[in-house]
Amino acid sequence: MEEISNFPLNPEPPEEESPQSQMHESTPDRKTMRTTKPGIKRLILSLTVLFSFIIGFPFLWKSIEIYRAPLPFDRIESFSSQLESDPLHFPCRFQAIFVGFDFSASRGLGPNDVAAAITRKMSQLNPNSSRCGNCIGGDYDVSVVIDSGSSCAQTEGSEAKCPLKCGEVVFGGKLSDEDFDEMLKRCLGNVGGGGKGYSVVVFNGDKEEGEVRAVVGKYRHAWVLGHVSEDEAVSRTAEIFARVFMNAGSEGNSIRSEFMPVGADGRIVLSFSLLNAEPQDWIYDWSFHEIDKTLLHPVIQALQPIANITVESQVLYYTPKSSFSYWDDIHGSHIFSTKDLPFFLNSNEWHLDTSVAAGGRSKVLQLVVYIPSAKECPLQLELPNGDLSKTNGFISPVIHLPSKFPYFIILAYFGILQMWGGVVVWNPESCVKDLESKDPDRRVISPQNLQKLFEVLMGQLRQLLGLKSDNLYVGQSGAYILLGSERGFTEWELDVLSGKHVCFNLHSCATTLGSLSRLVQSLPRMIIIDEIGKQVKFSLEAAKFAQSYASTGIYNASAVSSRQARSLVEDAFFHPSIMSISYYSFEHCFAIYSPFFLPVTMHVILAALREWKRYKQENRKYLAWKAKERIVS
Amino acid sequence: MALLSRKGTLFMLFLFSIFLLSASASNGSGEEEEEEFWEELLLKPLPDRKVLSHFHFQNEAPLSDSFARHHHLFPKSIAQLVKKFHIKAMELSFTQGRWNYERWGGFDPISSHNAKPPGVELWAVFDVPPHQVDASWKDLTHALSGLFCASINFLESSTTYSAPKWTFQSALGSLRYGTLPREAVCTENLTPWLKLLPCRDKAGLSALMDRPSIYKSFYHSQRLHLTQAKTGADPKNSRVVLEQTLTVVLQPNILTGGTNYVSEAKMQPSWSLSSIFGRKINVERGLVTQLENLQSSTATFAANGTNLDDFGRNVGFELSVNPDRVLKEVEKSSSILYEYPIKVHKDSEQFDLGITWKHPVIWSTPHAPLYASRFLMGSGNERGAIAICMKSTESTQGLVAANYVDQRCNFQVNVLQIVPWYIKVYYHTLQLFVDEKPQVLTDFVERMRVSPSEDKVSPGLMELVLKLPCEVKSAVLNIEFDKGFLHIDEYPPDANQGFDIPSAIISFPDFNAGLQFSDNSISKTPMLSKLQERSPVISYTEVLLVPLTTPDFSMPYNVITITCTVFALYFGSLLNALRRRVGEEERCLNDKGNTQLFQFLHPKTQVT
Repeated sequence: MEEISNFPLNPEPPEEESPQSQMHESTPDRKTMRTTKPGIKRLILSLTVLFSFIIGFPFLWKSIEIYRAPLPFDRIESFSSQLESDPLHFPCRFQAIFVGFDFSASRGLGPNDVAAAITRKMSQLNPNSSRCGNCIGGDYDVSVVIDSGSSCAQTEGSEAKCPLKCGEVVFGGKLSDEDFDEMLKRCLGNVGGGGKGYSVVVFNGDKEEGEVRAVVGKYRHAWVLGHVSEDEAVSRTAEIFARVFMNAGSEGNSIRSEFMPVGADGRIVLSFSLLNAEPQDWIYDWSFHEIDKTLLHPVIQALQPIANITVESQVLYYTPKSSFSYWDDIHGSHIFSTKDLPFFLNSNEWHLDTSVAAGGRSKVLQLVVYIPSAKECPLQLELPNGDLSKTNGFISPVIHLPSKFPYFIILAYFGILQMWGGVVVWNPESCVKDLESKDPDRRVISPQNLQKLFEVLMGQLRQLLGLKSDNLYVGQSGAYILLGSERGFTEWELDVLSGKHVCFNLHSCATTLGSLSRLVQSLPRMIIIDEIGKQVKFSLEAAKFAQSYASTGIYNASAVSSRQARSLVEDAFFHPSIMSISYYSFEHCFAIYSPFFLPVTMHVILAALREWKRYKQENRKYLAWKAKERIVS
Repeated sequence: MALLSRKGTLFMLFLFSIFLLSASASNGSGEEEEEEFWEELLLKPLPDRKVLSHFHFQNEAPLSDSFARHHHLFPKSIAQLVKKFHIKAMELSFTQGRWNYERWGGFDPISSHNAKPPGVELWAVFDVPPHQVDASWKDLTHALSGLFCASINFLESSTTYSAPKWTFQSALGSLRYGTLPREAVCTENLTPWLKLLPCRDKAGLSALMDRPSIYKSFYHSQRLHLTQAKTGADPKNSRVVLEQTLTVVLQPNILTGGTNYVSEAKMQPSWSLSSIFGRKINVERGLVTQLENLQSSTATFAANGTNLDDFGRNVGFELSVNPDRVLKEVEKSSSILYEYPIKVHKDSEQFDLGITWKHPVIWSTPHAPLYASRFLMGSGNERGAIAICMKSTESTQGLVAANYVDQRCNFQVNVLQIVPWYIKVYYHTLQLFVDEKPQVLTDFVERMRVSPSEDKVSPGLMELVLKLPCEVKSAVLNIEFDKGFLHIDEYPPDANQGFDIPSAIISFPDFNAGLQFSDNSISKTPMLSKLQERSPVISYTEVLLVPLTTPDFSMPYNVITITCTVFALYFGSLLNALRRRVGEEERCLNDKGNTQLFQFLHPKTQVT
């Protein structure tokens, strides 16, 4: 256009020529001035198009945007950090009953002072009070009843009736531990009124009564019998509270103590397999039905609040282990050392299928009974210290462990085995193969042996759940006998388990939420459907509920909510749509839209620029003419 | 010789070993529950110098409370499938190669049960309410897909499966049938299949399964068949029977025995177990308690004038091991079965059965009443036609001879044809030619069931029940179709190869494929009872390959780009047109023209 307007000899007047300009004689040079105002129609048009493009761009951008449901990143962040800094805590109620002690006489201490002493001791024993599942604020609600025979004193707010109305308690009596436990349950009732209060009764005996006997019952009681000093009584009480009732005797605060092999849907499948390494030597079978009914059923019932457990079994053949053992003359057996344990499992030949019935994200625990071949029979496991593994505490009172009957618990490698299950090597009574018969030697494991085997396996299950398989706890101030329940798990153990379960669920919920939010933030072009957003929201809510239930001591509701929180967030994380990362990348977008927008925007911008330039130029001309006019006039 | 072979001299040889194992667990109620396992192998020389070997494994478990939970022999994973998806019956087969009905026969139980279409075939009957059947099927396909390392999950889409009613007996509406003709079958499918056996391939007959021998075979088909057998009126007493078979047609390595026969080429190759599989049955290994071995032959040398009774001496072959029992087939083919229970041969370290031929023998296997083949007609990418051609064989000729008195001798033929939705079949164009003359359909079609395909939803299905006269020479069914268009993302990888139309199933319910043995009183092994079972003759046609128009897959981008360019051009010119100052331009042009004209007319004035 410029060349048009710059055209030197323009004999005719410009467009929109007004009659007024023609009236003037001095027709100005068209190249430098004009008499009329420049028109702005085209300028407005070009600018309108340009601006509508600019305004339309955000709309376009919005329309090609990938839908991402808003996730509450800040709430996720605060939830994880809160769980980190202030883990889940449960209310604790402890009751210590001292019978035959007179603290006020000997030490001048009242019940409140004794309670404070116990609390102090407990804090020492349980230093990291911030651990998940601990008491609220590290505050142990300890109440003390001191019954010195003549007088009775108690801390304020203690629920036990003082004096202790167990007149028939004859300490040092002839009652067996089990009967004593039942009797304590009867007479103490439910300490803590409906909630889960724990109590320790210390009976001061005479000096000649021999050693002190400390027993933890299968309910929520423990008792100490025998001649103990006041200090010892306090420290023992504190230890039972802090170590046994609160931590189920497990030391340390590793991940392991918080790990629970429960699937995200709250189910565990116990898959039992009997492996015949070499069926040519002998084939063993078992009658699993019996065991299922008599032994496993009560255990499953007991664990109902923690997980929904199903049991299945199979017998497999030709399943050798994948590593070698060596013959040891001293022990008269083949030895397999613990350091080779990870190579014991033979994933190629042991086709322990994951259960189809499990479905979803249930946890399958493989419990394997391995029967060695005649070549490697008897097979024993060597512990790192050189001993043979046969002192398994959980089973030692039940069976004697002569060389003929070795059981090994293989539970070494946490990373693999804890997630996986456990293995027991079971050696046949006689390792001599019947060479005469060409028929395979078919045998059935006798019910007695099977029962022993399953006790070992139950011990493994306890260990998998993070409990001790031992029935003896040796603490700082002495040993404690842990009474076993016929259900496999005592009430206080189940309390610890459900606490741990809630902790584990919330912890894994927080971790998964954290990874989900990191993933979502790191992939800006990932589609996130509304369902995921909802699941995350509900999961956070459920986690909140779990925390509030836990702080009021409603264990079951807390377990349910925490499980819900975990399974919801796992659902969100493993939602099929989350895998569908949009391949509609920016490059793709550019490739599709550039053939249209590149030429068009060039046109529009150039047009607007030129019109603007022309307008300025023409306007200048007009102004020049105006100035000239003014001078002329 | 050729004349003789027309007389139907049949030569069969079976080797057959059983391996029985039972595990029992007494229930609390004292009721004895048993899981049982058998394994057997059948070997049969085929007329075209090949050998058929057929492994048969059978596993039985009672359907009790502990089913799918506690097992001793039965594979737990299969039991759990049965329980979870309420499967009444199921069959899954993986096949490579095509069964040669002409040469290898089509009238015996082996070909009726074990000749399968290439790729994967799956059918299942569910014990669930009708509205849940599809959901169960979908879940089942996914579970099987994981279990067998195959893409069975593609059968999940409703476009790939259908519900035929007449072809399978156990239908009752809850049957679903689907095939994947292009599935490649290899060891990764065999290994999970072997895992279902108690000893996998560590012991017993499956130890013979030498992978190179199996996979270089002409035909191999591995099959898994689940049924529920009721032993009594009480449904609690029913048992779940898992049958696993592997059928392989092999070319034996010829053992050169240094024979003096001039016509070496005409001789059947002599072979032994070790020459077929490269392995022997190791008797010592395994849970073997009982093993039987059957071998059969019917050799009638009409030329030699030997009669059936003294076949043992004059059959023209020798067996390296003496059979334990000999069974004669009486009805159809007069074949003979030699049985070798491995238990008997336990004393020898290894069992290596061999056969040595002494004379050249020619025989033919019995054929199905009609030999069916299917082909495509028409050319181009628009339309075509499918023709199913059935030709009579000697079986129908025999039928004519037998029923000569009866004037109206008919036999029934069931045809099942499933076509994918993108082959749009016009069912009204169905034509029937009998003996090459066009016929009115209603004269021959007894019943017909058509469920037309629905685009992108379901395949088309056509079931026909034909009544053909016994003296029929040939029958041709012809149906036309249009080729459909698929959406760009519905094309499979390598779309230019073409699309498969699954095999049609032709069954003859009037003919019984089962064999009848002379001695019926003897104890039956699962395979023997399977051979004797009354079942219709079934044959599959070829898989058809239909080329469809395939688009240029870069087309979307091209379209986008060209459309955008056109739009941009249009927009740009519109904008320019709006901005144009026509008057000014004209003036400019005029000025320019005037100047130039002036300069042109008065060049000197300019100069001066």
